[in-house]
Amino acid sequence: MRLAIRRMMRRVRALLHGAALDRELDEEVRLHVALEAQELERLHRLAPDDARRRALVAFGGIERYKEAHRDARGVRWVDELRQDIRYAARALGRSPTFAISAVAILALGIGACTAVFAVVDAVVISHLPYPRDDRLIRVYERNSPTNQWPLSVADFEAIRAWQQSFSDVGLLRTVDAPVAAGGEPQRMAVGYATSGFFRALGIAPAVGRGLGAADDPPGAPPVAVVSHRFAAEQLGGDRAAVGRTVDVDDVAYTVVGVLDPRFTSLAGRRGDVWPDARLAPPKRRGPFGMVVIGRLKDGVSVADAARDLARVSRREFPVWQASFQDHDAVLVPISLRRVMLGDAPRTLVLFGAAVVLVMLIAVANVAGLMLVRAAGRWREVSLRAVLGATRGRIARLLVTESVLVSLAGAAAGIALGVVGVRVLVAVGPKVPRLGEAHVHARAMLFAIVVALGAGLVIGAYPVVHLARRGAGPGVLGGERSVGGTRRTHAVRAAFVVAEFALALPLLAVAALLLNSFVRLQRVNPGFDAGHVLTMSVSLPAGRYASDTAIATYWTRALDGVRGVPDVVAAGVADQLPLSGGNLDENNFDLLDRPVPAGTAQPVTPWTVVTADYFAALGVRLLDGRMFAASDTGGQHPVLLVSRSWAHRYFPDGTAIGRKLVSGGCTSCPPVTIIGITSDVTYTNLGDPPEGAYEPLTEGWGRSLHLVVRTRGDPGAAIPGVSAALRSVEPSVTLSDAMPMADRLSASIADPRHAAALVAGFALAAALLAAIGIFGTLSYTVSMRRREIGVRLALGARRGEVTGMIVRRGMTHAAVGAALGLVAAAGAARWLASKLFQVSPADPLTFGGVIVGLLLVALAASWAPARRAAAIDPVEAIRDA
Amino acid sequence: MADRADLLQGTLDLLILKTLVLGPLHGWAISKRLRQLSDDVLEVGQGSLYPALYRLEDRGWIRAEWGTSPEAGGRRAKFYSLTADGRRQFAAERSQWRLFSSAVERVLKAT
Repeated sequence: MRLAIRRMMRRVRALLHGAALDRELDEEVRLHVALEAQELERLHRLAPDDARRRALVAFGGIERYKEAHRDARGVRWVDELRQDIRYAARALGRSPTFAISAVAILALGIGACTAVFAVVDAVVISHLPYPRDDRLIRVYERNSPTNQWPLSVADFEAIRAWQQSFSDVGLLRTVDAPVAAGGEPQRMAVGYATSGFFRALGIAPAVGRGLGAADDPPGAPPVAVVSHRFAAEQLGGDRAAVGRTVDVDDVAYTVVGVLDPRFTSLAGRRGDVWPDARLAPPKRRGPFGMVVIGRLKDGVSVADAARDLARVSRREFPVWQASFQDHDAVLVPISLRRVMLGDAPRTLVLFGAAVVLVMLIAVANVAGLMLVRAAGRWREVSLRAVLGATRGRIARLLVTESVLVSLAGAAAGIALGVVGVRVLVAVGPKVPRLGEAHVHARAMLFAIVVALGAGLVIGAYPVVHLARRGAGPGVLGGERSVGGTRRTHAVRAAFVVAEFALALPLLAVAALLLNSFVRLQRVNPGFDAGHVLTMSVSLPAGRYASDTAIATYWTRALDGVRGVPDVVAAGVADQLPLSGGNLDENNFDLLDRPVPAGTAQPVTPWTVVTADYFAALGVRLLDGRMFAASDTGGQHPVLLVSRSWAHRYFPDGTAIGRKLVSGGCTSCPPVTIIGITSDVTYTNLGDPPEGAYEPLTEGWGRSLHLVVRTRGDPGAAIPGVSAALRSVEPSVTLSDAMPMADRLSASIADPRHAAALVAGFALAAALLAAIGIFGTLSYTVSMRRREIGVRLALGARRGEVTGMIVRRGMTHAAVGAALGLVAAAGAARWLASKLFQVSPADPLTFGGVIVGLLLVALAASWAPARRAAAIDPVEAIRDA
Repeated sequence: MADRADLLQGTLDLLILKTLVLGPLHGWAISKRLRQLSDDVLEVGQGSLYPALYRLEDRGWIRAEWGTSPEAGGRRAKFYSLTADGRRQFAAERSQWRLFSSAVERVLKAT
């Protein structure tokens, strides 16, 4: 061990003090020669000069010996590497066009790779910001492999009482509610949590204390934890926040703690204020919608927890059988990491694959450039070989050059990546934790590794070629030996073919996504988005505790809103179309055709509305009658259903007059269907536009959505409408005021961004492939100048020459496209679930992409072909 | 040069170690001692002497120190001496060599 360390120290010293060691060696050698000369002088009585000369001869070439000695030092390769780098840098400096284009192409590829890696790293690879995040579980309720939903308070209480798998388990309910810290109330994200929620996550506030078990009972004094941002903006900083009072939905909470700045969301839910949940004992199994998080005890696996929760489900079921009959519904544990990632891995695989293809094309491109360059330098390389450089040394020289190029590409690529991540975060699809992505040390290391790999690949062919042929004196004569051999042509052609083969799948996927997006955009959402304004309206809890109070407010407020100039109609609903996953759905059971006992009932989007809502949104009544003032619930509840709903459950057109039981409430009076409306999409565009409407007569919520139809620009009506709402109740909280057109556009932002990003990568790929074919053909033309000259001299027409070159380029492109087609078909099949109304094998898309790519190849082949045709035969033959 | 033998691969290390058994020597003195001890039969290729010295030092068998050399008129010279490891190594290589040379000798004697 000591020896090993000492040897290492000697190596380091040899490296750092090479010059000093050389001097010491010189001194030793001079002494040796002097003593030898002295000896010779004495023994053979030679003249001093003669003796010295003979001593030198006896010693053998001093330089050679010094080399051998340096070898023995074991650091020779470092010296040579330094030389190689200096040499490669000089050589690159002499051909700046090559260097700049190679670095630029690689920078593009590496930059894209780095940006996507940084995102993947932040979203998929990095841990959640909770200790031992792999032990965190979110519990869902599931009745079939494809249908699961969040829990209810009743479920949570059952789990808390009977589970044996979790060391801690907690509940979170998130809502947007009016929050006031002394001033005007603002609508904010509020997360009501039990103390177990924080204990399970394993986090404590940065300042103050967290929620404790003593805060959980309904009678405890209300306390809350707030986000760092909320404390800074509303309460004058972390320290000042503790002890202050915050009104959430008219309940005053004392702030006891402030979270670390990085916790803007917990368990994937955004929140500014985290009040204690203080759960009241449940009266029925629902409503559902609570997040339940548990931390697995040591030694308990997810499978163990699943068995434990199944046992809890069986025990809970009989307790609430009156309000919930789905016997198949079972509590299931799902890793919180998986819950939070959701569909992100698939999206990221798509981007990852896209950048890998772009990178490969970039590498093939630069490798092609390198080959041209190697051809031009063959003479120089041969000369070096003749002068005694070993093959390995020359190979290293060539590889050093390409690695140098790719490292320069990496440096520029990292800079591009930093910009790229910002772009991805800004315009990328909504993926959890995307905001945390940035180019950190790991991403930079990744860029450098990619660059080194690329450098080796790029430099490989000239080296392999060298190894096979050797670089003997024979090479000296053949000026065009590398550029001109058939094998090199084949390799260059292979690079071009590969570029096209890689570009095609990318273009195909981009075209499919764009095609799908265009179709999605054309879907009729069921309302006239152009003249509709929506707004969330929350009333303060204090004065609006009763239905009557809220109903009175809305009667007066709607009258006021209708009086605003340009307003045509105004109505109220508890939710809006295009709510995505946040939609309220309700289960129901048709009286004529009940589902078998113990099985899941069908569900449909369930919206509670005033009768004016339909006119305001532009939804027509197709059959039956509209809600009337006499439809006040009670013993004769009524329901409107959408055309799609009616068609699905009563294809014979007899929906009107049918009765059903909603919400699994067996003791409630059945609901009668009184009419059929036109379709509106409540979830996401492209989903079946089914839905049911219940009149808003009782059970008014304090937070409702106002829908206003205007004559002109809906945005212009916002101030007037807001004023009308405030004139009835000044402390009303208004938020999310926006034209329906904006909601529509936001609801398809994800597919739009995905299509745009992949299209960007695909364009880059096509451009690189075009550059590749242009470079190769240009080079071919310059190499075959003489031959083309001879052909022209012998009477070939210029058109034939053009055709010859273009044919060559098109052959490469066509072969590449054919190969790429196979990969494209596979990629498209994988993509199928992301496509809307487009077959993954859509012949039009594929045909269009192939034609497009071949046109690009044609355009790129044209210029070199024209140049070939313009060759002056006399000059070409004379020059050669 | 017929009366001079080329050094067998690997024997140079053994010979250098041997010359140093009696005490520290500088480079030229080592080559001279080898010549003397072998009655001018063994000529160390000088170009291989110093790399060998470096190698032995690297392995920890000899150590080098700068001193002054009387025969060079008090000039600075690098003196090499055996380390404890070097002594052990010398003993090991010597017995190995003896085993080897006697075996070769026996083979050659056989008729």
